[in-house]
Amino acid sequence: MKKKQIYILLTMVVIGAAIAIIYNYNKKQKEKQNAIYSLLDRKGPAAQTKEWVEVRKQANDLMIALKNNPTDTKTSLKLAALFIQEARETGNYVYYDMAAMRQINGVLNQEPNNFNALVFKSLIQLSQHHFADGLVTAQKAKTINPYNGYVYGLLVDGNVEMGSYDSAVAYADKMVSVRPDLTSYSRVSYLREIYGDYAGSIKAMKMAVETGGAGDEHTEWTRVQLGSLYEKTGDFNKADSLYNYSLALRPGYSYAIAGLARVAMAKNDYKKAIAYYEQSDSLINDNMMKEELAEAYRLDGQTKKAEETAKAVIADLSKDAQAGINDENIGHYADKELAYAYLKVNNTDKALEHAMLEFNRRPENIDVNEAVAWVYYKKGEFEKALPYIKTALKTNSKNPILLSRAGLIYLKSGDKATAKTLLQQANTTNAFIGYALRTETEAATKTL
Amino acid sequence: MSLLFFHARKNPWIIAAILLLVPASGLYAHTINYSLEKAPTEHVILFYLKLGFSHIIPQGLDHILFVVGLCLLSNKVKVILWQATAFTVAHSITLALSMKSIIVAPSAIVEPIIALSILFVAIENMLLTELKPWRIILVFMFGLIHGLGFASSLNEIGLPRNKFAVSILSFNIGVELGQIAIIIVVFALLVKPFGKKIYYKKRIVYPISIAIAAIALYWTIQRTLSI
Repeated sequence: MKKKQIYILLTMVVIGAAIAIIYNYNKKQKEKQNAIYSLLDRKGPAAQTKEWVEVRKQANDLMIALKNNPTDTKTSLKLAALFIQEARETGNYVYYDMAAMRQINGVLNQEPNNFNALVFKSLIQLSQHHFADGLVTAQKAKTINPYNGYVYGLLVDGNVEMGSYDSAVAYADKMVSVRPDLTSYSRVSYLREIYGDYAGSIKAMKMAVETGGAGDEHTEWTRVQLGSLYEKTGDFNKADSLYNYSLALRPGYSYAIAGLARVAMAKNDYKKAIAYYEQSDSLINDNMMKEELAEAYRLDGQTKKAEETAKAVIADLSKDAQAGINDENIGHYADKELAYAYLKVNNTDKALEHAMLEFNRRPENIDVNEAVAWVYYKKGEFEKALPYIKTALKTNSKNPILLSRAGLIYLKSGDKATAKTLLQQANTTNAFIGYALRTETEAATKTL
Repeated sequence: MSLLFFHARKNPWIIAAILLLVPASGLYAHTINYSLEKAPTEHVILFYLKLGFSHIIPQGLDHILFVVGLCLLSNKVKVILWQATAFTVAHSITLALSMKSIIVAPSAIVEPIIALSILFVAIENMLLTELKPWRIILVFMFGLIHGLGFASSLNEIGLPRNKFAVSILSFNIGVELGQIAIIIVVFALLVKPFGKKIYYKKRIVYPISIAIAAIALYWTIQRTLSI
């Protein structure tokens, strides 16, 4: 064969391959669009409840209705709502968000100003940590219906995550006036916590719990949040009783079990903590719980298991992020979480890379600034950590972990007076801040 | 867009490029880098300059192999520069258009085709002995696709809204500096000392091109299967 012929053949093969790649992609996209998202099995006691039987029946009915009438927007949104709730129940956010988003986008293609579809879309965008996009969608929904309380909740959440705390407070006030219930009181509580008012935060969270139906997932989630507020103020007995009460009302509730695990950690009972964490981990997919389980293994001397679990967290978070790269509709930003996960395996370079990615998106958020500052601290670059930790402290949050980290950063930067004030504030509560941080904080306090 | 369609009637390669862009129906706005919106301009320039450079050296192994492939066709500086210019102009166009969300192509399509472009250039180096006009057109077309790849990476970091032009220009200059560095290294290590030797094609161009083609083939398959 002559060179010219080979050349022509090569050209044809390359063009053919390029067309095949495009065809293959389009085919897979079409398959994805036409895919029927069935419900995934629940785990543990949640799979034995009457509620689960009803949810499955409801999902089945909705899917049949949609098969008969694919353009029925009301049914599509009902199915999307069901998927969103299942994501909360099971922690399978990547799968169910994709399932829900498919229904929502279908509705928005037909009715671009459908209020409920916009609200759901914003909710999923926030759930996937696309906070700026979620905020834009919520704003659009608000212009369509400014009298709906729920949309103000989304605006509170979006503004908190973007670090616009004043706007978040204004929207929370508006939300309470429109809809004084569990969803609005819990947001008031969260904002008070951010501004360092734990007493006020606990009071609002109690009101939130009281307005919810005992045993409902949303109410029990709120009760667990109340428990965690008690944890942060060092009142482990109250936290413990709230978690147990939640479990009595909603048997096998994974977040309540994880709460009991944290209480056990605070009491240095690592074996008990591991048992609780393993139980909660078997019920739901939650990387925060897995990270805490890794810490418990480490403290219990099970180094190999600790390392394996920590690496599994990184793999899982990276997989979620990859889902976002592959499908722009389901982008899941997990960079703050990945930054902390990489710190756990002492990879400070990767931790910084991810922390900065998140910082680029949310430079005003206090948690993101805390993450960047802490990564720089771990790298031994204390001067670089300082401006970030200053931003993290801008709302006067009294979170004991933040105060401890801030104290250590100021101390290493040579500002002993500020370090002393911060560490004293951190030590006023008996809150559990993790073994390593507690040890470091205690040692630092002695030097002052 | 009308300009693109006008040229498409004249050149089948442009039709292929448009075909590539057709599936990009789900247009999305570029990611916003909020932190750099408040940063001084010189800081932004430096940041994107470094970012562009690091997208070639050390992160962009596929782009590195493509540029190496461009340098291996001929031992004449003019030939290398013509191709490098075509590549640069092309990827600058699609990078800017993509970051403006005017044209968007999913990375699931762009990445395997980038690998395919490396494979093509590597094999072509073994078939051609001198620069043909269509090689310039091909390099230009592949440059358009590589630009979409750069855009996908840049989108991860995002751009500040108030310094959009300056940041994208800095990123592009960074990419160019990376490419120039590769060209200088290839020229200094291979073309200059061995380019005029009789065995240059047989002992240098062919083995390196075969190695590049093998890697590119592996990437093409791997990236296609991961869609």
